[in-house]
Amino acid sequence: MAMLEKDVMLTLAEKTVETALIKGAAEAEAYVYEGQATSVGIERGQITKSNRITDRGLGIRVAVNRAVGFAYTNILDSQSAVEKAVINALSAARASKPDADWNGLPEKRGYATAEKTFDARIAELHPEELVNLAAVMLDAATNADKRVLPVEGGAAAGYVTNAIVNSNGISGFDKGTMSECSLAAVAKEGNRVTPICFEFNAERSFNLDAEWVGKETARLAASALKTEPIETKNTKLILTQFALQELLYYTLINAVKADNVQRGQSAFKGKIGAQVASENITIIDDGLFAGGLRTATFDGEGTPRQKNLLIEKGILRSFLYDNYAAKKEGKASTGNAARAGYLSTPSIETTNFHLSPSPTATEELLSEVDDGLLVYYLQGAHSSNPVSGEFSVVATPAWKIRKGEIAHCSRGVMLAGNIFEAIKNVTAVAGNERKMGQLIAPWILVENVKVIGK
Amino acid sequence: MIDVLKKLSDAAVQNFGAEYAELRAQRLNKTMLTVKENRVEAAKQGIEEGIALRVLVDGTWGFASVGSIDTAALTRAVSDACRMAKATSSRLKAPIKLAETKTIEDCVQIKPKENPSEINLEDKIGAALSLSKVILGVDKRVKSCTVDYLDLTGTNYLVTSEGTRITQDKLYVWSRVTSSAVSKGVFTFSREEIGSTAGYELFDAETLERIGEKVAKRAVEQLRAKPPKGGVFPVVLGSNVVGVFVHEAFGHLAEADLALSGGVLANNLGKKIASDKVTFYDDGTAKDAFGSFKYDDEGVPTQKTLLIKDGIVAGLMHNRETAAKFNVEPTGNARAEDFRVEPIIRMRNTYMAPRDHSFEELLEGIREGYYFKSFRGGQANIDGTFQVGIQEAYEIVKGEVGEPVRNASISGNTLETLFKVDAAGKDFQLWPGRCGKGQTAFVCDGGPHIRVRGVTVGGNA
Repeated sequence: MAMLEKDVMLTLAEKTVETALIKGAAEAEAYVYEGQATSVGIERGQITKSNRITDRGLGIRVAVNRAVGFAYTNILDSQSAVEKAVINALSAARASKPDADWNGLPEKRGYATAEKTFDARIAELHPEELVNLAAVMLDAATNADKRVLPVEGGAAAGYVTNAIVNSNGISGFDKGTMSECSLAAVAKEGNRVTPICFEFNAERSFNLDAEWVGKETARLAASALKTEPIETKNTKLILTQFALQELLYYTLINAVKADNVQRGQSAFKGKIGAQVASENITIIDDGLFAGGLRTATFDGEGTPRQKNLLIEKGILRSFLYDNYAAKKEGKASTGNAARAGYLSTPSIETTNFHLSPSPTATEELLSEVDDGLLVYYLQGAHSSNPVSGEFSVVATPAWKIRKGEIAHCSRGVMLAGNIFEAIKNVTAVAGNERKMGQLIAPWILVENVKVIGK
Repeated sequence: MIDVLKKLSDAAVQNFGAEYAELRAQRLNKTMLTVKENRVEAAKQGIEEGIALRVLVDGTWGFASVGSIDTAALTRAVSDACRMAKATSSRLKAPIKLAETKTIEDCVQIKPKENPSEINLEDKIGAALSLSKVILGVDKRVKSCTVDYLDLTGTNYLVTSEGTRITQDKLYVWSRVTSSAVSKGVFTFSREEIGSTAGYELFDAETLERIGEKVAKRAVEQLRAKPPKGGVFPVVLGSNVVGVFVHEAFGHLAEADLALSGGVLANNLGKKIASDKVTFYDDGTAKDAFGSFKYDDEGVPTQKTLLIKDGIVAGLMHNRETAAKFNVEPTGNARAEDFRVEPIIRMRNTYMAPRDHSFEELLEGIREGYYFKSFRGGQANIDGTFQVGIQEAYEIVKGEVGEPVRNASISGNTLETLFKVDAAGKDFQLWPGRCGKGQTAFVCDGGPHIRVRGVTVGGNA
């Protein structure tokens, strides 16, 4: 399938909205999506496969008597299939119950430009370029250390285009590209096998450092071979972006979503203006961060993306809203409605959750730790208590820091605590910020976390 | 549809020199609902169709999927997949081979008592709302609840260049219920999932009232619970926790692709890695279970696969590629979430076989320990480190179940822990769930209650 043109997508969305209004919708919104991802895959030390997934479809949301219905279809070349989707959305709304808090679809607002989100090279990429990238990464890893076995990984590139039209006059089109290479490896020596160590590089443009990914994955895996147990006590932790992303996603990020606040499902309810974190913590959810992995012109409802200051030097300033949650409080949406392609209705999600870095070098951060742990990968963060923020996770592996230097690796280290306490104990943040999914953050230093050794 | 697929398969073999071609098509209908407290978020109805094709060219996989059955798009996809495979094969050292399997021609129709696609949307919404009402009515400290519902019906088609032609109906009904309670600054959280491949009659057996009360009462009960002590303790694990342990801590290691990737099981076939009490299966044949089906997405018949017998590793879960590497029969574990993605090795219904102890006998002799009844989530690493978060737990004091404990989690090394299983109960239950491995698969896991001599318990106290 060739890429759908802007005009084709917008016209389809407009016609769908029109059809819905004619068939009895009080309001209607159509979202047209197309995405293509091409990848080559590494399995057990060699490149064994290639994939191309092309997906497109249409999601339609309607309101009838303040009851909302949604339907989707991926059959776009048939007018009757699109009409059937409209009828399904209407019948879903009619089968549903009126919602007193439904105050209409969003209104039209001007868009700012999303910068550095599209690279024409990706749209025209030849799969062989991905094979080359994967080969560079693989060679870098295996040449760095013979004990390292790359288990899986690969290189991928793709594009996403979407168009949104609603009956309040919103009409938007956006396109973006993404590329990524990643590698997971273990190191083996005698009977010893390390846990999986992982690195990656993801960008909106086709500028990837595959060699660094390969070398760094190998370095991490090899350094995990030599392990020693550690004792149970309260200690300092340096959390890398991997650990932060896991811990924050299921707890803190949950707490700043307005729907959770409204439902009493957030530890931050009623705490705007209060000190909720150490003064080292400033977080901006920045939907327009240049080149950000979640940057776009508008959100899943056609509301412009924007910058939202969430926590300023530890003080809670605001929450994230979609149109529904915002109107419930008489506010404006912050542009945080997300969609899973055409398959889902919008729901509140972070864009680029940006934890501000400091000028501190990572060596300096390490030198502040006399006795502590450097934490990369966590297991079990998804079993945290999403409301209270209590977590009990395993670090596999973690590296012991002694007098500011990495001493050895340790396995199966359990960390237990409460994220809302932990963010009050962040005594320093570094300057090494990087993009990882929705997170843009540097390493942070947290004091006094319970570590359970063996 | 089978004819369309056959033509594409022929094109891959004749025009592009594919050694093997596998074409899958799907037509799916989905209904999804979310009710939060007493509010219906959008009720959703979806229709999707598409085709996936996988080819082996010069010993390398090429895969393409398109959400369309348009001829031009499909012809292009065949060419894409074959050309990409050829480009990739330039760096291949060991060409991929597939284990032999019988070709199959079959049409699998399912006739549910109550087909969810024939139930009115109004009735499904009504059921979710009444469930929500039950939960919020249990106790005034129950502050919120979310009811998610999904049903999926449709047909899968499979054609291979070897001659397999399968048409297979699909049906899943699933619901997840979560609720939270709040009191004096303490937040608690509880979850339950149900799911079946039978039909909407699932809700006749698992009545809404029972599920709702169970979820809400657990959230309330935890309000008075205390955090566990950290350290190593003897524990009794409930069937639900045994299930997630079998699935996460052991099951993933027994997936042949992960075993080959440096997992701890590859070198342990035929060796004793667990106590005599431990027998594990991955069973795709369990009637109506959420992880059951007749043929996998490579056309291999499903089966009841023995993984561990009395502590000895008996087998792994295979697709045709790993079966060839191990020189064994494929076990029917190749599953794809939908037409968008390739089949990979996935679990089905994975469980521990029951033995002969009563619950009381399991508790006997534990002076200080924990009873972990129900899990919140679990995860494992290829080196055998596992973590399971617990949503319902109690102290065990002098052989008796004591006070509730909240936010506990357990961790350890899988093989070390399997040797410490010293008794298993005579009870048995399967629990439906969804497993993530890049794709989502519907599965069950379960077993009896068991006793473990020592696991590391993470806690705040």
